[in-house]
Amino acid sequence: MFLKVQMPWNVIIPADSLDAKGLMLKKAIVIRLMDEFACKKATKDLGYFMAVTTLESIGEGRVRQNTGDVLFPVVFSGITFKMYRGEILQGVVHKILKHGVFLRCGPVQNIYLSHIKMPDYHYVPGENGIFMNDKHSKIDKDVIVRFIVIGTKWMEAEREFQALVSLEGDYLGPVS
Amino acid sequence: MSGEEEENAAELKIGEEFLKAKCLMNCEVALILEHKYEQLQQMSDDPMNQVSQVFEKSLQYVKRFSRYKNPDAVRQVREILSRYQLAEFELCVLGNLCPETVEEAIAMVPSIKTKGRAHDDDAIERMLNDLSLIKKFE
Repeated sequence: MFLKVQMPWNVIIPADSLDAKGLMLKKAIVIRLMDEFACKKATKDLGYFMAVTTLESIGEGRVRQNTGDVLFPVVFSGITFKMYRGEILQGVVHKILKHGVFLRCGPVQNIYLSHIKMPDYHYVPGENGIFMNDKHSKIDKDVIVRFIVIGTKWMEAEREFQALVSLEGDYLGPVS
Repeated sequence: MSGEEEENAAELKIGEEFLKAKCLMNCEVALILEHKYEQLQQMSDDPMNQVSQVFEKSLQYVKRFSRYKNPDAVRQVREILSRYQLAEFELCVLGNLCPETVEEAIAMVPSIKTKGRAHDDDAIERMLNDLSLIKKFE
């Protein structure tokens, strides 16, 4: 689910970017904020960081000793993406293995659908193996699949989420 | 929320802070990100170089998975769904997946049928009809 969130952040402006004109300062803060926001990629609580939408407020700047940089506490609104257990989503298949398939959904690259969680589908080997059920419904590369999230895991080192999904439920499976 | 163990979107258990946070439908995110991208385009020749991977992947995704493209239609979808006393999260799941039948809608958002809520099948049917009308006239 995409979320609109408001969050506080501390932006540090190096002394040499400080300008007597107020307008330039605001621009410097926005640029700095957007850079840092993009670098951060994701957090465990808020999910993936997509975009900064509005800068809500800029607090009083505080000069840091030794360096002369100025730290501004700011509050801004942005868009994030987070998956919830029990949520139903649609994703795109990008890799098929004997034991299951990998899907992408939004910014999340590692979504695994195990063959155990799609019991009516079986693996059909071949140059490009696919999964198929008795009604000839196919799970092939680039096919859109509707699934339910059964678990997510935050990977601190990669700053990424992994998710396990399932097709056990009504109205789940490949979407034509 | 007491522990992560209890999270279950099907029962609308997604944590206090997220229940209150505003959820966005794919089509709304597409409008916002496309607007952002256009702004970047005006500032540089190679805007794709300026954006993060998360931004790029998400833009591709929401473009492919938006049921409504026209900004007016997007606004109407939220307006119509808002009349049905849905939680933000439920509203967006319905707007994203566009179920065609009452049965499908309940399968996608089981929490709309939980006890104490005023959604009978007729109300859900009306809501789905309203949604399909927007799609037809888009």
